[in-house]
Amino acid sequence: MSSETGGKKMIKVKQVNHTFLIGKKGKEKKVPVLKGLSFEVEKGEIVAIIGKSGSGKSTLLHTIAGFMSPEQGSITVNGQETANLNETERAAFRLNNFGFIFQNFQLMPGLTAFENVELPLKLKGISAKQRKASVKQMMDKVGLTEVGDHYPNELSGGQQQRVSIARALITNPPILFADEPTGSLDSETEQDILLLIQNLNQTLGVTFVMITHDEEVASIAHRTFKMRDGELVKGDLQ
Amino acid sequence: MLFKDQVDFVRQHIKKNKLRVFMTILAATMGCAFLIVLASIGFGIQDTMRKEILQDQAITQVEVFPSENEELNLKEIKAVPFIGAIVQRTSMDTMTSFHFEDRMMSGDLRLTDMKEEEQSNLKLSEGRLPKNESEIIVGYHFAKNLWTDAERIKVEEGVEEADLPKGYEKSIIGKEVSLSLQPYESDGAFPERWDFTVVGVMENPAKDWIVDSSILMDESWLPKLTAAYEANGEQVPEIYTNTKIYTSSLEHVKSVTKDLKDMGYNVFSVSEQLEQIDVFFMAFKIGLIFVGTIAILISSIGIFNTMTMAVTERTREIGVMKAIGASPKLIERLFLMESAWIGIIGTLLAIVISYAVSFLANWLLPLVVGAALGEDEFSDLSITFSLIPWQLVLLASAMSIGVAMISGWRPARKATKIDVIQALRQEL
Ligand SMILES: Nc1ncnc2c1ncn2[C@@H]1O[C@H](COP(=O)(O)OP(=O)(O)O)[C@@H](O)[C@H]1O
Ligand SMILES: [Mg+2]
Repeated sequence: MSSETGGKKMIKVKQVNHTFLIGKKGKEKKVPVLKGLSFEVEKGEIVAIIGKSGSGKSTLLHTIAGFMSPEQGSITVNGQETANLNETERAAFRLNNFGFIFQNFQLMPGLTAFENVELPLKLKGISAKQRKASVKQMMDKVGLTEVGDHYPNELSGGQQQRVSIARALITNPPILFADEPTGSLDSETEQDILLLIQNLNQTLGVTFVMITHDEEVASIAHRTFKMRDGELVKGDLQ
Repeated sequence: MLFKDQVDFVRQHIKKNKLRVFMTILAATMGCAFLIVLASIGFGIQDTMRKEILQDQAITQVEVFPSENEELNLKEIKAVPFIGAIVQRTSMDTMTSFHFEDRMMSGDLRLTDMKEEEQSNLKLSEGRLPKNESEIIVGYHFAKNLWTDAERIKVEEGVEEADLPKGYEKSIIGKEVSLSLQPYESDGAFPERWDFTVVGVMENPAKDWIVDSSILMDESWLPKLTAAYEANGEQVPEIYTNTKIYTSSLEHVKSVTKDLKDMGYNVFSVSEQLEQIDVFFMAFKIGLIFVGTIAILISSIGIFNTMTMAVTERTREIGVMKAIGASPKLIERLFLMESAWIGIIGTLLAIVISYAVSFLANWLLPLVVGAALGEDEFSDLSITFSLIPWQLVLLASAMSIGVAMISGWRPARKATKIDVIQALRQEL
């Protein structure tokens, strides 16, 4: 999928607004979470969105990833206006364009590390033989050669996050989203993971959009957007 | 996702919840086996009754009666395709007695065309068909009913069935018997006597309770016999004719029956009887299948429960799958495959179990019934209690698997509706 804008801009977020309704039916309260956000992310960048808990970071990421639709505004990813896609098309779009790294790893407990990494390739309908080769290569790259046949509950937090990173990268997606990728890790492991992300960004040219509340984690980013109460307040605003 | 991988995926999930899935399969198996076994009783008894009918009589026989005040048009009947023989037996409304040595019996005299009898494949237990006018064949019980006067008086005074006189116990073949006629109202027989040689004995009727003491004689005798009435100044008795048509083979019974019916005659044949039985059993079997279906429906509640639990349990995993790009269609398919798998395994087990139960029933029940009645004969009888035709297997499988998939459908839909954000927020 080639970008209409020349391939430089990977993500374009324009005037995105979203309001949640909370409370009992009939007595709902409106809570504006995203208030007219606009920004762009370029190909190959690491961008960090930093802000306090509850400032709307995750919600922003969910709208970009297509897990939900914002009330207003347009989001273009890799040249595709995501609002125009239906559920099935969104799923296929995510499979081909996105990788996800979650705070609590979100690995399949019933699958081994190897099988977890293999899962997106299975979804893509790639043959077992081809899968095996690429998963092996990816496991080596993230330093999991030894633990392929371990189940998630037999791995440390850092190892689990590596599995999750390997799973996110296995389909060679142009964009990787990370929501508090080191939130569940101790500081030493955090450093390992951040180095790995930097390394993968440099070697593979993957675009990273990273959400964090931690200034130190944000320090590996090329650019940082600061969010407060649903607005971008400081940083390299467009 | 490749089909093989989908199957792997489903298998992995089933493995994780072996016991629960096993219990659900058990319920599906029991439901389906119950349906098959129950319906098989209908098929089995129907089969037994059909066999009974086919055994009991000349299966190619078609009886035909004219409507009131009408007569059979033999020419027209002869033109019907596949007719092998038309046997017309004539009887007189009078008393006909046969005498042999000091014995005598009153039988049913029938006059017939021996050529047609031969063509109809009339079966004899002994001897042969008559070759000339002076030869006759007699019913299976003819000799047994040849009693002496003393024996007859004893019977009239009343005896137990076991004490009935045995009649003439040697072979009657080749013996000479003489016929006398006597109108019902008259006190004595005509003086005329006609002598015949018995050359054949007909088969024992298939039904135990039928006593065949008839006599078949060539139809050329009819004018001579009626002439005796005129000679003795009596009125000629009424003469009845019974017409039976024999088709050239069994498969033509149906078409001949239909053709004769279309001509406006009253027709009675095996195919008629079979049709009536089939109609009755069709209703009977539908009833049984209906009851069996209820069992399948009950087992489907189990499948619904199991699948709903499976979806609820895996909410987070489904959310992750959707997040990384599994389409709702795929999610739905994976769950449908799981419920279909339960249905298919349950059905396969049910088929095996049903055949085993059916086999055991057919083997054991006659023994049990025979022992209970204290009759050895019963165990020899080949009664089919349970019969499972492939159509029944097909129907039950389709229902069982179909119901399994329908009950898995709602949970599968529910899985596709799972919200990714909510699912990912779930605690591990
Ligand atoms: N589904 C929802 N319904 C109602 N309110 C929500 C929902 N999701 C998030 N919120 C609210 O939106 C705000 C932003 O949440 P979130 O995007 O998770 O913030 P962050 O990731 O920056 O901590 C919070 O106040 C949260 O309570
Ligand atoms: Mg958050």
